[in-house]
Amino acid sequence: MTTFLELLVNGISVGAVYALIALGFVVIFKATEVVNFTHASLLLAGGFLVAKLHPALGFWLALAAGVAGAALVGALIEFLIIRRARVGSHGVLAIVTIGVDILLTTELTREIGTDVLALGDPWRDQVLHLGPITIAETRIVALGVAAALITAFLLAFKFTGWGVAMRATAEDAETAALMGVRLGRVSLSAWAVAGALAAIAALFLCVFPTPGLDRSTTAAAMKAFPAAILGGLDSTTGALAGGLIVGVTEALMSGYQSQLAFLGRGIGDAAPFLVMIVILLFRPAGIFGTKELARV
Amino acid sequence: MSRRSRWITLGAVWGVVVVAAVVAPFYLEGFWLQTGLFAMSAAVGAIGINLLTGATGQLSLGHAFFLAVGAYAYVYLSTDVGLPTPLAAVVAVILAGVAGGLFSPIAGRLKGAYLGIATLALIFGGQHVLFNAEPLTGGYNGRAVPPMELFGFVFADSPGLVLLNVPFGALERLWFLGLLVLAAAAAFARGVLRGRPGLAMNTIRDHEIAAGVMGVPVARYRAGVFVLSSMYGGLAGVLVALVFQRAVPDYFGFLLSLDYLAMIVIGGLGSVAGAVIGAVFVSLLPQLLTRYSDALPLVAEPGSGGVSPAEAARILYGAAVVTVVLFLPGGLLGLATRLRRVIPRIKELRWPNSAPAPASRR
Amino acid sequence: MIPELVVSDVTVRFAGLVALDAVSFTVRPGSTHALIGPNGAGKSTCFNVLSGVYRATSGSVRFGDAELTASRPHQVAALGVARTFQNIALSPRLTVRDNLMLGRHRLTRSGFVSAGLRLPSARREAVRHGARVEEIAAFVGVADALPTPVGLLPYGTQKRVELARALCMEPRLLLLDEPVAGMNSEERREMADLIVSVRESLGISILLVEHDMGIVMRIADSVTVLDFGKRIADGEPDEIQRDPEVIRAYLGDIEESAS
Repeated sequence: MTTFLELLVNGISVGAVYALIALGFVVIFKATEVVNFTHASLLLAGGFLVAKLHPALGFWLALAAGVAGAALVGALIEFLIIRRARVGSHGVLAIVTIGVDILLTTELTREIGTDVLALGDPWRDQVLHLGPITIAETRIVALGVAAALITAFLLAFKFTGWGVAMRATAEDAETAALMGVRLGRVSLSAWAVAGALAAIAALFLCVFPTPGLDRSTTAAAMKAFPAAILGGLDSTTGALAGGLIVGVTEALMSGYQSQLAFLGRGIGDAAPFLVMIVILLFRPAGIFGTKELARV
Repeated sequence: MSRRSRWITLGAVWGVVVVAAVVAPFYLEGFWLQTGLFAMSAAVGAIGINLLTGATGQLSLGHAFFLAVGAYAYVYLSTDVGLPTPLAAVVAVILAGVAGGLFSPIAGRLKGAYLGIATLALIFGGQHVLFNAEPLTGGYNGRAVPPMELFGFVFADSPGLVLLNVPFGALERLWFLGLLVLAAAAAFARGVLRGRPGLAMNTIRDHEIAAGVMGVPVARYRAGVFVLSSMYGGLAGVLVALVFQRAVPDYFGFLLSLDYLAMIVIGGLGSVAGAVIGAVFVSLLPQLLTRYSDALPLVAEPGSGGVSPAEAARILYGAAVVTVVLFLPGGLLGLATRLRRVIPRIKELRWPNSAPAPASRR
Repeated sequence: MIPELVVSDVTVRFAGLVALDAVSFTVRPGSTHALIGPNGAGKSTCFNVLSGVYRATSGSVRFGDAELTASRPHQVAALGVARTFQNIALSPRLTVRDNLMLGRHRLTRSGFVSAGLRLPSARREAVRHGARVEEIAAFVGVADALPTPVGLLPYGTQKRVELARALCMEPRLLLLDEPVAGMNSEERREMADLIVSVRESLGISILLVEHDMGIVMRIADSVTVLDFGKRIADGEPDEIQRDPEVIRAYLGDIEESAS
């Protein structure tokens, strides 16, 4: 029972981190209708900056720099590339982001090389004992921060001018523009925010109990894609639900690995994708995604 | 350019290509032959993903999975089951199609980003199986690939064969097999694209509601093209296995799927010729960079701190994808077509009696 | 034998809106029926239900023995129902000929294998149907444009190509969604003549959505008027023209329009 609870709490905290990533992904999709395949490299960029800067700047400044840096990279991608490629269909835009992702990921993994970089966080490998279960401090912080950010985000989405502009653009960009919404700004801010969220997620993906930032961090980040899809690509609630589902699935499958040995080593990594497929079979638009009106 | 002179030019170009292709193994060394063979297999795979993504508009990130199915099925069927290698190859391709068919509840109903990300499940699920099902797949180290044997003729280095004073080893023999397979695959795809299915596929991409309303069973077509594309992937997988003589799971990952998408975008979405051009570009690039890494300023040996040829190639064609999408919508093929139209126009200034070639489905 | 199209009590509800509210009308075999109403009245929604693109929340649409609300678009097409789109739905990069050949899809059979292998059956089929496409193109007046990519053609010609493509399906019922939208008066007259000659030579049922009352008066045998998703009038063109409900729907209350 203890194991199950521990796994569950861990899963929820990792899931919250996935939800952060998925949220950025969904925000970009809602605001610009672009499926952003560079998301994993934005995450890597943010984490990389923190890893490289923390010896010189100390952890908190480095973190700020990482977040700002990733936001900047996101904004640059939007400004220099996505905006120009507006002419194409959505499939083509997705492929542009794939091209950018190939570029960024290759360059970043090259810089990382075979190193495992530490991010210099203050929580290190300390654990907390909550009753019978033992949880890493980093996981508690992750859960807290992710929950706070997601709540702040959803509130902003609902109640601030920016949030309204974002939602209006997602519903009907043309009308929103006619009503005075600056589409360029909405688009830019969506990408910047997504970058920032990804950087924070990178932090929590690379601290204890993970060894650090290395080449495999992108693979971990990629789990946010099924999270976003199974929740529904155009739903922020979906990103949240999807992240949690993926996190819990991964934790449980990895945790019960020995009992599930017949499914193979590393089933925790493949399981989220399989869960996504099962959900898509019943809800092709994701759990909270808007179903398309027209059928073919 | 008048129709007749256009035919003559086309015939001449094709003639040169065919002669060069036939003569190549007699002059090229092993490195280039392997590169060329690798490009041929990539071309077969690219033609397949083009049918799905370029012509029908269904984004798939799962192509590498079907290459894996083809490669490993070929090894399993020829080594463990003991089928004669040509039959093993054919069945492997069919199995890749079956795998694609099993995915059809997803492939038929989803499109766009949903399908793209759903196909990631094939990649990650597939790699999971490849790494874990050791008796079948050899796990991390993979498995050795038996050479193809057709009517007693073995596509390997021994028994030795010397043609016109040139020793004909595995690569030289495979060269012609590769050319034949590529030619057949390209011809078939072209037939599909120019015929009734191609029209339906293009309309599904451009206007799925109009397609449905005109009587095209959209979901069935989407699933059907997915199967067809999977079979092309399987065939490419068999070829790649024969060329490398080894099947390892690391190869058939996410990056390979991205490579294929890059190929069809760079070459020109929607056409067989574009897919082939893109495949040649993307496969040749890392090999060229490896070969001439001494001469190039930034490229260095892997692990020495500089940019390795493979990484440099990736960066270059990642940039190429972005460039093509932003500035060259038709890809390299589109560029060639536009240049071809510019030339007659220049000629027209002197001999004004030519009409531009009509657009057509390729 | 062309059957009646019977629309009974069709309701379409989505996202909290009632787009169609228990709409009923009948298109008699071989007749030309117009569906009119102010913008947002639900006419396009109605068309989408008829072609199987939208699911009706309730109600039924019968074409002969077949129930259209239960059918997907390609199944509706198989019953001989063809439609055009208000904003042209042609493939701009393909030639007129290719676009028209798509209309032959349900009448042809070559699949991946016969097309890929270029079997004689596929080639014969392409030739035979290609000839028919040329006939229809000539009938509609776009034969000269056959080798041209559709995107390069003027708007009026594109609209004709849309109509020709629908005719290539050899339909029993033709749904025309604003066939003269965006055309100048001469183009409108030509299009109206074309629709009349379609009716006269082919004898098929035609249902058209249209704003141009002149066209409606000229070519429609009967008219159904929608407003806010409800049917407010149904009958012959001159009755409709004088119906106070219809006038009010289009012009608003007399007091309102006066002030």
